[in-house]
Amino acid sequence: MVAPALPPIVDERPVRERQLVRLLVFAIVMLIGIGGLVARLVYLQLVSGHQFAQLADENRTVSQSIASTRGVIFDRNGRALVLNEPSYSIKVRPADLPFSQRDEVIARLSQLLGLDPADVTATIDGNPGSRFDLVRIAQDVPVAKADLIAEEHLDLPGVEVAVESKRKYVDGPLLSQVLGYTGAIDADTLKALSSQGYLPDDLIGRAGVESTYETQLRGVYGQETVERDATGRKIQVLRTDRQAQAGDSLILTIDTTEQRKAQQAVEWAMKTAGLKRGVLIAMNPQTGEILALVSLPTYDSNAFAQGISRKAFQALLANPEKPLLDNAINQQFPPGSTYKLVTGLGALADKKLGINEQVMSKPYIQIGPDRFWDWNRLGFGSLTIVSGFAHSSDTFFFQVAQRLGIERLAYWARQFGFGAPTGIDLPGEAAGIVPDEKWKQDTFGQAIFPGEVLQAGIGQGYDVATPLQLLNAYAALANGGTLYQPQVVREIVDADGNVVQPFQPKVIRKLDVPPLLLETMRVAARAVVTSRHTFNLVELPIVVAGKTGTAEFGTRDSKGRLPFHNWWVCFVPSHGDVRKPDSTLAVIGFAYDSNTVGNAATEMVKYYLQLHFDLKVDKRLPDLLRRGNFYGGN
Amino acid sequence: MGVLKAQPAKVSDWARNSVGAVWRAYDLQLTIYAALLAGLGLAMAYSNTVAAQTALLDPSSTFARGLMWAGIAFVVFLTATAFDYKWLKTFAWPIYLANLGLLGLSLAIGDGVSGAARWVSVFGLQFQFSELAKILMIVVLAAFLAGRHDRLDRLSTILGAGVLVAPAGVLVMLQPDLGTSLVLGAILVGMLFMSGASLRWLGAFGAVAVAFVPIAWTYVLRDYQKQRLLSFLDPSSDPQGSGYQLLQSQIAVGSGGLFGKGLTNGTQNQLDFLPVQTTDFVFALVAEELGFIGALLVFGLFIALIWRILAAAHRSTDPFGSFFAAGVATMVLFQLLVNVGMVIGVMPITGIPLPFITHGGASLISLALGLGILQSINLRQARAEW
Repeated sequence: MVAPALPPIVDERPVRERQLVRLLVFAIVMLIGIGGLVARLVYLQLVSGHQFAQLADENRTVSQSIASTRGVIFDRNGRALVLNEPSYSIKVRPADLPFSQRDEVIARLSQLLGLDPADVTATIDGNPGSRFDLVRIAQDVPVAKADLIAEEHLDLPGVEVAVESKRKYVDGPLLSQVLGYTGAIDADTLKALSSQGYLPDDLIGRAGVESTYETQLRGVYGQETVERDATGRKIQVLRTDRQAQAGDSLILTIDTTEQRKAQQAVEWAMKTAGLKRGVLIAMNPQTGEILALVSLPTYDSNAFAQGISRKAFQALLANPEKPLLDNAINQQFPPGSTYKLVTGLGALADKKLGINEQVMSKPYIQIGPDRFWDWNRLGFGSLTIVSGFAHSSDTFFFQVAQRLGIERLAYWARQFGFGAPTGIDLPGEAAGIVPDEKWKQDTFGQAIFPGEVLQAGIGQGYDVATPLQLLNAYAALANGGTLYQPQVVREIVDADGNVVQPFQPKVIRKLDVPPLLLETMRVAARAVVTSRHTFNLVELPIVVAGKTGTAEFGTRDSKGRLPFHNWWVCFVPSHGDVRKPDSTLAVIGFAYDSNTVGNAATEMVKYYLQLHFDLKVDKRLPDLLRRGNFYGGN
Repeated sequence: MGVLKAQPAKVSDWARNSVGAVWRAYDLQLTIYAALLAGLGLAMAYSNTVAAQTALLDPSSTFARGLMWAGIAFVVFLTATAFDYKWLKTFAWPIYLANLGLLGLSLAIGDGVSGAARWVSVFGLQFQFSELAKILMIVVLAAFLAGRHDRLDRLSTILGAGVLVAPAGVLVMLQPDLGTSLVLGAILVGMLFMSGASLRWLGAFGAVAVAFVPIAWTYVLRDYQKQRLLSFLDPSSDPQGSGYQLLQSQIAVGSGGLFGKGLTNGTQNQLDFLPVQTTDFVFALVAEELGFIGALLVFGLFIALIWRILAAAHRSTDPFGSFFAAGVATMVLFQLLVNVGMVIGVMPITGIPLPFITHGGASLISLALGLGILQSINLRQARAEW
């Protein structure tokens, strides 16, 4: 634009006025705008302030558990078996482990801990909780390593060093089958128990009394409210909502000294006879208290307490002798001749056999085309219940079983506790099998064959029982007919030592049998020893009564012979009189995969009795156990 | 007297004024309000530093850096006050070109978060030139409008101003910095409006701008910008994602209640639930720790400040001074409304700082420059004779 030569006289007034109006309009816009913001603030801060304050509180606080002190475990004499000791654990919070660094961090961590990176990865991936929950990678890490990891925390994002209480099993593998162990909770268990306050990185009893008495040992976790920041880091404890309540402690019925003696006896017998597995249980027949329980091979609970490596655990699982299983209660085997107690007492009680009735034993019993031979192929001639039991004549008991019939035989077996768990306070107890018509129909869709009745009468065929069931049946014989529920925990005491649950024998049932008949069977059991059916056991300076058993199992070898187990189940009358039901010690020995002339179980228990009674004589017959591969004597 | 011509004042004019006259012309209130707001910003930086558990005067602490920027800003303010603003009119075009140059430079060598090229390192300090660009743009626009003060209601004025702002707006948009380009647009509209531009034409352009929104949505905005704009409508739809900040800031504001939780006691701030709590979302921190009362104090200070700026606009006999003041007032008000609106969930998230309080050197220095120029304008007015 071209400027005019003379500036025009411009009246500025209308322009200034317009500008003033517009400034005022702007001011009004400002007030309206800010007024709008204030209105919104009134709503947010004054009207909804409480709700937002609550949301802010929920943001910053988190309720977290306070671990309770797990109860410890003592033997019956107050000797500590399980203790808690502080140890370092290494944990990873997956959410804080950046994916890009994951492999690198795992590699470094594995190197520091001496672990397989694949194991660490598997543990993190197998985490039962969410990405924000800690996963335990290693337990019982030495202080030096824990320090090293703590120092490298900048290079190890998501890795934390925690001080935890670790279980210390004082005697190592000695009582592992009874005590069990604690281990990391798995996803399914967590799901079931999270309502009871279990946490994803919790330890839980996984076997033995650690498992059975989990609730009592664990106590009750406390609860506290913790302030955290946006990344989840804990800032401070705001308040304790509930104090943690320490777990109760257990006092076992087990006597460590007896356990050691039993273990010594089993180890000797296994070594001498080349057994694959060995079991010895000692109990008080008057109460059902288990004094010693040995099942070998076994494992060391401490391996689990330290966090067992995947490889070591796989090795335990792959071992054909199943060291993780307690052969005394988790496994069932044919009871063999020990079962003749049921057949004999049942026939006496049902009046199918008189106390002094003579029955002609034969070399075999013919049923249709099949011959059922006595173990002594000559037979024993005419026998009573006492001599028949003493010689363990098969043909005698075949005839008795025929008189009794399968249903009554099964009835008496169940009366003695066969076919049902004893209810011992240890996990995973097997029930055993007592065959009868219904069972055969349900299982095989067939009726019981007559020959199977004979087999059942001598504890072969379908009969299977756990060593504990067998011991418990003889304990009922020893105490005059009361079947007790075996127990390994005697008392439960709280953290201050007050008894929470005193010892109480638990009666399963009383056998409805005249005392005379039980006395007769005890005399018969003593005759087993005095007849030298058990070789030199009679020479011990104590009175022992019991029954041997041998049962075939598995597959035949090249010479058509089956491997077999030996049993010896016995009791020791307190005053040397077998007719009195006053025994306070009943013992069972079980030799798995025996192939020796002598009864390895009898030798095993004999050695234990020598140790138990501190006998100055040694009547063991190791030569009998070393002469192998003989299939014969019962 | 006729039109007050835009010409550089002579240094001797300054010397001739008595100290008393200078004091009377100087708007002490304006300075005090701004200083109080900046002080509030420092208080928030202090609170944040306590939360971060860094030593108060550690060079890396928010508080120490805030203090340093405040010092620099004070020097800039004093310098700008002493400087005769009339030279700005003379140098409007060089300033304009320098402004575009700086924005181009930011685009070329700047770096920033998520691929945005906003910050340029100057002597080791991060500086955001787009903040400075706002003030420089106000200077240029004020000079342009002052030159056309007798034909302000013409279409050519509006078009010309638009053409001036457009390159800067585009350069800022390319960084990409949606917020600053919006502020530039607001400054344009505010200055045109208050200078007395034709309402009819402004309305027409407003309609065109509204029609342009769908096109801009489709072709101009980037996905993250769209997501941020949308998330304010329903922050709970994605509480861990884009809605997180909005949700957390509303919780912070709401939980402050009437009196607030007290300085350094805001849990949302102290425990880091509130992201960017000293920059774009600093108002949430104010509202949480100082409560409704603190927020009212902030608003009160802003109203008083803007009132003084508008007074300066009215008082100025020089159209450049009036228009410059109008530009500063628009900028401050727009940023206040959009920033606080964003924090309390009534406006979409755009990266617009809260004047004076948001922690950041460029914003504070640019404001100090603006207010310094404003004081310079206040000091150098002959009384209007109409």
